[in-house]
Amino acid sequence: MIRLTIDGIEVELEEPVTVLEAARKVGIKIPTLCWFEGLPPFGGCRLCLVKVEKLPKLQTACTLMSADGMVVETENPEIRAARRAMLEFLLINHPLDCPYCDKAGECELQDLVAKYGPEAGRFAEGKRRHPESFDDPIIVRNMERCVLCTRCVRVCEDLQGAYAITVTGRGAHSFVEPFSGGRYDCEYCGNCLTVCPVGAIMSRLHLHSYRPWFVQKEAETVCSYCGVGCRMVVQVRENSIIRTIPRFGLGVNDGLLCVRGRFGYDYIEQKERLRTAFIRKDGELRPVSIEEAIEYTAKKLLQIKDTNGPETIGAIASGRCSNEDNYMLQRLMRFFIGSNNIDSSARLYYIPIVQYLERIFGQGVTANLMPGIGRSDGVVVVGGDPTRINPVLGLQIRACHRNGGKVVVFGPSGGLKRFVPYELRPRDDEALLVAVLKALIEKKGMPGENKNLEERLKEIEVETHDVLREASIEEPLFDTLVGDLLGLQNPVVVVGPEVLQAERPSRVLFLVAGIVYLLGARVFVMSDRPNYQGLMDMGCLPDMLPGERPIELETFRHKVESVMGRPVPDKAGMNLFQMLEMAKEGNLKALYVMGDNLYYHMPDAEEALQSIDFLVVQDIFMTETAERADVVLPAAGWTEKEGTFTNLERRLQRFEKSRTPLGCMEDWRLLAELMAHMGDERPPRTVAEIWDELVQVSPLHIGINPREIGPEGMIYPYHGEPLRGVEGEFDVEALKGPYGGGPEGLRLILDRPLYHSGSQSRRSRALRSLQDSPVLCLSPEDARDLGLEDADMVRVTSSKGMLKVKVAISEDVASGTARLSNTFSEVHFSRLVGIRQDPVTTGGVFTDNLVKIEKLPSEGSEEVME
Amino acid sequence: MEAFLREVQEVVKRYPQKRAAILPALYLAEQRFGWLSQEAYEAVAEALNMPKATVKGVATFYSMYRKAPMGRNLIQLCTNVACMVMGAETLLQLLERRYGLRPGGTTEDGRFSLVVMECIGACDRAPAMLVNKDFHPNLNENNIIEILEGYS
Amino acid sequence: MERILLKNIDNPESHRLKEYERVGGYSSLRKVLEQMSPQDVIEEVKTSGLRGRGGAGFPTGMKWEFASRDPKFPKYLICNADEGEPGTFKDRPILERNPHLLIEGMVISAYALKAEIGYIYLRGEYPYAKTVLEEAIREAYEAGYLGDNILGRGVRFHLSVHQGAGAYICGEETALIESIEGKRGQPRIKPPFPVNVGAWGMPTVVNNVETLANVPYIVEIGGEEYKKIGSPECPGPKLYSVSCCVKRPGVYELPMGTTLREIIYEHAGGIRDGRQLKAVIPGGISTPVLTPDRIDCPMDFVSLPKYGSMLGSGAVMVLDDSVCMVKVTWRAMRFFEHESCGKCTPCREGTGWLRNILERLEGGMGRPGDIELLQDVAKSIQGKTFCPLGDGAASVVLSFVRNFPEEFEFHIKEKRCMVGEG
Ligand SMILES: Cc1cc2nc3c(=O)[nH]c(=O)nc-3n(C[C@H](O)[C@H](O)[C@H](O)COP(=O)(O)O)c2cc1C
Ligand code: SF4
Ligand code: FES
Repeated sequence: MIRLTIDGIEVELEEPVTVLEAARKVGIKIPTLCWFEGLPPFGGCRLCLVKVEKLPKLQTACTLMSADGMVVETENPEIRAARRAMLEFLLINHPLDCPYCDKAGECELQDLVAKYGPEAGRFAEGKRRHPESFDDPIIVRNMERCVLCTRCVRVCEDLQGAYAITVTGRGAHSFVEPFSGGRYDCEYCGNCLTVCPVGAIMSRLHLHSYRPWFVQKEAETVCSYCGVGCRMVVQVRENSIIRTIPRFGLGVNDGLLCVRGRFGYDYIEQKERLRTAFIRKDGELRPVSIEEAIEYTAKKLLQIKDTNGPETIGAIASGRCSNEDNYMLQRLMRFFIGSNNIDSSARLYYIPIVQYLERIFGQGVTANLMPGIGRSDGVVVVGGDPTRINPVLGLQIRACHRNGGKVVVFGPSGGLKRFVPYELRPRDDEALLVAVLKALIEKKGMPGENKNLEERLKEIEVETHDVLREASIEEPLFDTLVGDLLGLQNPVVVVGPEVLQAERPSRVLFLVAGIVYLLGARVFVMSDRPNYQGLMDMGCLPDMLPGERPIELETFRHKVESVMGRPVPDKAGMNLFQMLEMAKEGNLKALYVMGDNLYYHMPDAEEALQSIDFLVVQDIFMTETAERADVVLPAAGWTEKEGTFTNLERRLQRFEKSRTPLGCMEDWRLLAELMAHMGDERPPRTVAEIWDELVQVSPLHIGINPREIGPEGMIYPYHGEPLRGVEGEFDVEALKGPYGGGPEGLRLILDRPLYHSGSQSRRSRALRSLQDSPVLCLSPEDARDLGLEDADMVRVTSSKGMLKVKVAISEDVASGTARLSNTFSEVHFSRLVGIRQDPVTTGGVFTDNLVKIEKLPSEGSEEVME
Repeated sequence: MEAFLREVQEVVKRYPQKRAAILPALYLAEQRFGWLSQEAYEAVAEALNMPKATVKGVATFYSMYRKAPMGRNLIQLCTNVACMVMGAETLLQLLERRYGLRPGGTTEDGRFSLVVMECIGACDRAPAMLVNKDFHPNLNENNIIEILEGYS
Repeated sequence: MERILLKNIDNPESHRLKEYERVGGYSSLRKVLEQMSPQDVIEEVKTSGLRGRGGAGFPTGMKWEFASRDPKFPKYLICNADEGEPGTFKDRPILERNPHLLIEGMVISAYALKAEIGYIYLRGEYPYAKTVLEEAIREAYEAGYLGDNILGRGVRFHLSVHQGAGAYICGEETALIESIEGKRGQPRIKPPFPVNVGAWGMPTVVNNVETLANVPYIVEIGGEEYKKIGSPECPGPKLYSVSCCVKRPGVYELPMGTTLREIIYEHAGGIRDGRQLKAVIPGGISTPVLTPDRIDCPMDFVSLPKYGSMLGSGAVMVLDDSVCMVKVTWRAMRFFEHESCGKCTPCREGTGWLRNILERLEGGMGRPGDIELLQDVAKSIQGKTFCPLGDGAASVVLSFVRNFPEEFEFHIKEKRCMVGEG
């Protein structure tokens, strides 16, 4: 116990902390500039000077550890004079352009000067000149205003781990710069913007259009881009978003954001937003009122239901929509159509991975808290680059490294390159996984907890040397790897979508599960949509009711029926693949698509969609799918409605409405209106009313009042503890082997880049300014073999088609693969490949993805013929 | 480039961590590239597995690295107190008169660049200068030109 | 006094191992490895009363004791050969003419500390010393004074030269460590001190060249005998670098506590050209200036503060009546501005401001009130900087203004110098 006195107040401390923190504990705020919560103390600005009894010099509170018996004074004339002097020094080079500077009003320097003076600086000579840098599309740098607190550099290095900016030069000639001196060319998390106390680094997006006092409304919300669920505050003026800011101490992101969250919000205000409904008449989409469209849709759906039967109607839920929206969609399907045909593109990887792991380990196995990744002593990553798919989760992995943990990545380490001790670039992931698993079993022995799993694990028969050769992994490296894994006490495994892209996805997933089991690891599944987990929990599954209760369970079905006063169809419905198959065969008459651009991202969907008699698309944009619809319903987007998302930790988070949408309606409300036209006497009219019903229907959500969900959200009902132990049956294909040895040739893989994530991001001007055209990413080895250089144009041909695209050479690509994203409308991945459903996991495996790549003559140069 | 990497790896062996070799590596890069261009920074970053921005940040902290292309011969003339008291300023004027050289500048023919130094530890033989790696003490208006004329 | 640190340096081959051994070199190392435990060496150095010659005068034995008590391994030994303090060139003859003395001192120190890796952080401005040191290190490896099994006694110590690149602040030990780690050389927060958390987080001893060069002699004659040299509170021989307006500038090895007067007039031959002594900077540019009435001060760590200055590196800069004090202050400030690392506000911004005012005075553009402004700005820096560099800058200005107010005033009033052609 440490006791000290600060400004006459006794402070008791359990742990030694700095005087600054000790003072904060008793509500004394010592002024600071270079200090920043979460960053190691720096001690440079000298504003936190305080007087400590018996010490002749003033001390910096941010660096001084409190000690027993210390007597500290934080304000007196001497201290005030010192602070005034420090501020006068800072003003030597700081321009007095507050009237023009965007930071005015929330500038820490301005506030400090207002408090401590000086009234006028005595420095009369010229100030340091440094031109404002507009070289970057989204960040402006004004180094004349910089006070060299280095918070930006430290956040970039210590928290973001991007190391994109640095202080160059020395003394008064020090400047903060990205490597190029101009463009940042970084991860564009923008965290440097959050921490800059003055107007030295600012967002270009709202330059000279923003003043803190312009903000008319702030709404607490959750990012709409991925499954991490970063909390942020949306600031609005005149119904338009000025910016999004994170808050330190709040949410899983704790003050950080990624590029999509920070800069990608402008899609919501693009001109192309749907502001009216459409009905196809005479082959053309004609604008109509929402009411008319709903009435029409209700009539058509009932008609089809009566004529063809409810099982000829299907629905696609959305990982971009809220829990409430998704709940309402399944409500429509189950109780008003009478069909369990509801699924979503979460079927491609998220649902199968989570469900498979749950079958092995029990429900809620992925309900783990993200900060635990940073605190773990080791992270194993398999199946994708978390720093791109779920960037802020990726930061936790970097934090793990910073705290001394080991980071092991199967495959190219991508954004974790600087954080791995060695790169594992197996030629065959599966072969390496099985070798690792086998070594763990040999060295650790079976824990004896999960009989089912262990029985299957025993079936593996492989010869380590052979598989390692197959995987092209050197044995010494393998031994190091196994040694590192064996040393882990509380590890984490992070699983990404690509684990399913194999001949036998179940086998890869099983191997991953085996590693999770032997390491005793907590597991996380990446999610590139904000609410994949939520739509599952809401019952947007063909075989599960809300709360993920199997449809076959009669007692449960009856309970739901009694709440709803309507029957629940008792036969499991069709999943995404089955519905599209049905459609192709002409047996799916109607499909209701909510917030999903199926046509675009699902290979082979065109034929299926064309065969559907009645296609309803409810979206915020006229997407490629909407263009083919019979009815288009305009939906309200993110922050235009209130509701909840459930992130990949299964944290239920509430978000507020920040702006009023024009000409559109919340998804759930559109659905409520539709149900009202289909015989629902009292559809829910508010989010709260949806919850009133949901908590009765879903055992998972019993007792939740959405209004009571605090800013930290709630992990419900898991509280961060998975409901392990309920093991189910699971299948694995060809467990015995052999392992490794896929098809030869260059395989096209779906890329999930950092700056883009599909229909949303490609409508963000900010994100497009960072990347405006598609690229085909190739490994340096393959590029060399193909005689290609960065930015060459190539023709990519598969058995499905051909397209022209620019090449980007990247170490983040495994050799033997080429990566293309589903991001840009003209050139995208799903045009070149096919897809099949894996029968065991039910996930999607891309097919027909062996491609030929030929260099095209560069534009302008003449084609040389021989 | 191969040779550069090999030399860097040789230096790296002296330290428990790769990054520690950055100062020597920057000297090597200077030799290899003539000065610390972006390309040179990138080569060092690559060799030491460091972020390139960090490399630049470190390099620019130290005043002796060549952050711009320089003439064939680099004159580093001390002008700190002892050398100043002993007449370094007149030498500066002389260099300007004779070669048109100003601190931070390079002669038109690329023969000399001039950098003004803080104390180079030769106060007992002031004024003094380094030309490339050669140390020249006890300078005066007569001998300095003679010395410099020895560099082509 | 016989020369200890500069023994044999008049011999043109003094830097060669052969020559060093010929005059008894490496016998202390032999003695240590054969007869003494590491703790014995530490005790001997403690007894000797040796104080660090880098500037702060911290008792060397105590520093070693702290580092050796820390249970963490590996430990590092770093020789501070940054010698950046203007006016200082005392380490240079050791580095260039007597490198084996330093190496022997380092091996003994490393043995005492159980450090197996050492570096000599050599300033970039000494390329010749680098060549000499590297050659000497090579010789020492060959002769078995360095390596994995020193003199066949199973003692391991590896030594290399780490060349700086022009940054005065890297003489400050924590900045030096940052620099060795490959970072921008900015000082670290203390505590923890390098003896516990130094290079790569491990216990690290940083000692000046001259400090380490004293070690073989201490071992040779024993701490008790050594203590008899020089002043009682700061024993030992001391290298004084004497420069500027004396007849015989150079490095003088004298007993610690020799008076300034003796140094200037007896050893350095007095003031040149029959001029008058006007001012002495006794310990390098960062130490306050003294007026001629104070030159009876003994030059050691405890006496100089009583006379209003500091021993610093023992760099005696003698200024005669032809030198303008304003100009000297201005040039000193230009140095501080150039060398400020930029980490803390008062030093980064304040040194430039001071230089600006001084430049104005020097250029005949002084304004009434400038002297007060100078003092005020210096006081705003003083005591508030992160490391002593900024403090040094402030105290230089304050001492010059205090001791030579009339010159500053003259500059403002007459727009020119009191002295010389100006
Ligand atoms: C700004 C500054 C510059 C310094 N420069 C040097 C230097 O060039 N050489 C040196 O030996 N010590 C220098 N020091 C002192 C070192 O920090 C440290 O005290 C010394 O290396 C310890 O060695 P010693 O105990 O042998 O004196 C400097 C200190 C400061 C604050
Ligand atoms: S006083 Fe401050 S700015 Fe100056 S050198 Fe020390 S830490 Fe750097
Ligand atoms: S907050 Fe303590 S020095 Fe900046």
